[in-house]
Amino acid sequence: MKVTIKNWNAIAQWRWDIGKEFDETDDEDLCGICRVAYEGCCPRCKMPGDDCPVLWGECGHVYHMHCIMQWIEQQPPNKQNCPMDRKPWITAERKTANTATQQTQAVQS
Amino acid sequence: MDARLRRVNKEIADCKNDKSSKIQLDLVDESPFHLKGSFPGPEGTPYEGGRFEVDIRIPDSYPFQPLKMKFITKVYHPNVSSASGAICLDILKDQWSPVLTLKSTLISLQSLLCSPEPDDPQDAEVAKHYMTSRSSFEETARYWTHIYAGGPDPKAKDGGSGGGSRDEVAMAGLEKAHVDQFEALGFERGKVIDVLRRLNYRGANVTKITEDRVVEELLKP
Ligand SMILES: [Zn+2]
Ligand SMILES: [Zn+2]
Ligand SMILES: [Zn+2]
Repeated sequence: MKVTIKNWNAIAQWRWDIGKEFDETDDEDLCGICRVAYEGCCPRCKMPGDDCPVLWGECGHVYHMHCIMQWIEQQPPNKQNCPMDRKPWITAERKTANTATQQTQAVQS
Repeated sequence: MDARLRRVNKEIADCKNDKSSKIQLDLVDESPFHLKGSFPGPEGTPYEGGRFEVDIRIPDSYPFQPLKMKFITKVYHPNVSSASGAICLDILKDQWSPVLTLKSTLISLQSLLCSPEPDDPQDAEVAKHYMTSRSSFEETARYWTHIYAGGPDPKAKDGGSGGGSRDEVAMAGLEKAHVDQFEALGFERGKVIDVLRRLNYRGANVTKITEDRVVEELLKP
């Protein structure tokens, strides 16, 4: 038997590596500020991805960068705290921040 | 869809799905940004058995600005204005955080009913009453819960609500004997209630306020 591939569509899936498995029913996977999944973009952006990254605080809380920045920027300097624990917000250096996991599959038609 | 609308719709849906918290959210008009929240008075407090309604306005920049809330149901509590329903609670002001939600804020209001903070009052007269005589304060709060929030009648032994006319002396948290005493001097009853309430004529305070002082206040136009 010989199969000829006439046409194929590539489908890619990606998600931010937030250090745990994704669970859609779990509030933990939502940005606490906009309540949209980390995978989605913040409400101000159209496309998820590198233009709308997520940001980790040293406290371990994660938000869309645009969401946490909007909050921090409107606060007086002495009150630029993490919305969850009210500790001063310090953006953590994180190596995995830009490595969205990616898988590609070919679909035969 | 606008970010605020998306978040609010989600919050309303979450609240509907969660039957355990007994917190309810309803639309007031066409706008999804004007809501009515309600919750049961906490057990073991003078608010038990009542249901308390709160007017909620969602500001344009929500969740970056706090929700605006005030009680629709009249509440006798040091941190709630007995006249306007305005609420003194830090998270509705400078302690707001964008991760707070309609539900979590209403739960905070519910717990405010459990733990009044008379040092930071919204209603100074109620706060004085609270500080002077806790038992008398609680009696009044219970009476308000009965009259305004559908709570049980504190006078009925079985705890059932038994109609009856509104007792202005109990509403003001005063003793009938005190009101009668000054009314007997020829003053109008409503005025006596008003003056005694303002003077916080309750508990240990009664011995500190002379009859002359009360009369002097009563004579003021
Ligand atoms: Zn977000
Ligand atoms: Zn964004
Ligand atoms: Zn944090």
